[in-house]
Amino acid sequence: MSASDDQADVERTLAGDLSAFEGIVRRWQGPLINLAYRFCRERGRAEEMAQEVFLRAYRGLGQWRKDAVFSTWLFALATNLYRSELRRIPARTVSLEDIAEPPDARASDGGLEDHDRDLAVRRAVFALPAKYREALTLFYFHDMDVPAAARTLGLPEGTLKARLFRGREILRSKLPQLLAVPRLKEA
Amino acid sequence: MKRLIRHEEIDRILSCEDEILPSSGFAASVMDAVRREAAAPPPIPFPWKRALPGLVVAGLALAMVLIAGVVAIAQLGRASTIPQLSMSWPSVLAPIFQRNMESAAIWTVLALLVTLVSVKLSMRLASGRV
Repeated sequence: MSASDDQADVERTLAGDLSAFEGIVRRWQGPLINLAYRFCRERGRAEEMAQEVFLRAYRGLGQWRKDAVFSTWLFALATNLYRSELRRIPARTVSLEDIAEPPDARASDGGLEDHDRDLAVRRAVFALPAKYREALTLFYFHDMDVPAAARTLGLPEGTLKARLFRGREILRSKLPQLLAVPRLKEA
Repeated sequence: MKRLIRHEEIDRILSCEDEILPSSGFAASVMDAVRREAAAPPPIPFPWKRALPGLVVAGLALAMVLIAGVVAIAQLGRASTIPQLSMSWPSVLAPIFQRNMESAAIWTVLALLVTLVSVKLSMRLASGRV
C-alpha cells in the first residue's frame, strides 16, 4: 500500500472522479474491517462500521491535511467512529472474573490448552475498561508500533505506554490460572 | 502452583490474531453508498443573509432586557439598604412590587410584540415571500 497511490486517488476523487475512491476502498477495506472486528468481535457489525467509515472519509476527504499520511487520518477517523459506536451500542462482553474461571474440567488441574488460553486472553482484553482495551487493541493492530497507535488514538506516546502497561498488568493479575504450571510443553 | 502470565506472552498471543476477510460484495456495497451520497443534492445552507436582521434585533432586545434587569436589581438593592425596621415586610415590598409590576407589564407587552414580529417574519421567510 503506497501513500502516493492514496494521495493520487484522493486528488482524483476530489476532482470528481468517483471511481478513484474505489481504489481507496479496495486498499483499506481489509484493515478497516479487521480493526472494527477487534473493537466489536462481530463480523457483520464490523463491516457495517467500516462502511460508515468509508462514507465519512468520502464526505471529509477535503479535510485531510497532507502533512499526515492518509492512512493515519483514515485510522484516526475509523477509531473515533468505532469508539463512539461502541459507546452507543456496547459490544457483548463478559466480565474479567468470568473469563478467569476455567471453562471446563480439563483446565481445573492444570493450564488451559494453548488455543483456549489464547482465546481467553483475547476475551479478557475485550473485557478491560475501554481506555486500556483501546490502547491494547490499537497497539497490537499496528504491530506493536507505539507511535502509530498513539497517533491513531490521538494520545501522547507516554500516555499510551502507561495505558498499555496498566492494561497488561490487569490482564496478568486477572488471568493467573491460565498459565498454571507445570505444563507438559514446558517440562 | 500458578504463575502470572508474562508481558511477552501477552504480546505473542495478541499480536498473532487471525485476520478476517471482507465479504465479496463489501467494496461494491460501499461504492453504491458513496454513489448515492454523491448523487444526493447538497445540503441547503443556512440563510445567514436573510436571518441577519432578525438576529441583530434579537441580540439588541436581549441586551436591553439584561441592562433593564441589572438596573432593576441595582434599584432594589438601594431600596433594601434603607433601614425601615418599623415597617412590616408587606408594606416595604408593596411600592417596589407596584413599580415593578408596571415595568414588568411593559416588558411583557414588548416581548410579545418581538415574538409576534419574529414569528411573522420567519413564516414569511419560510414561504419565500421576502
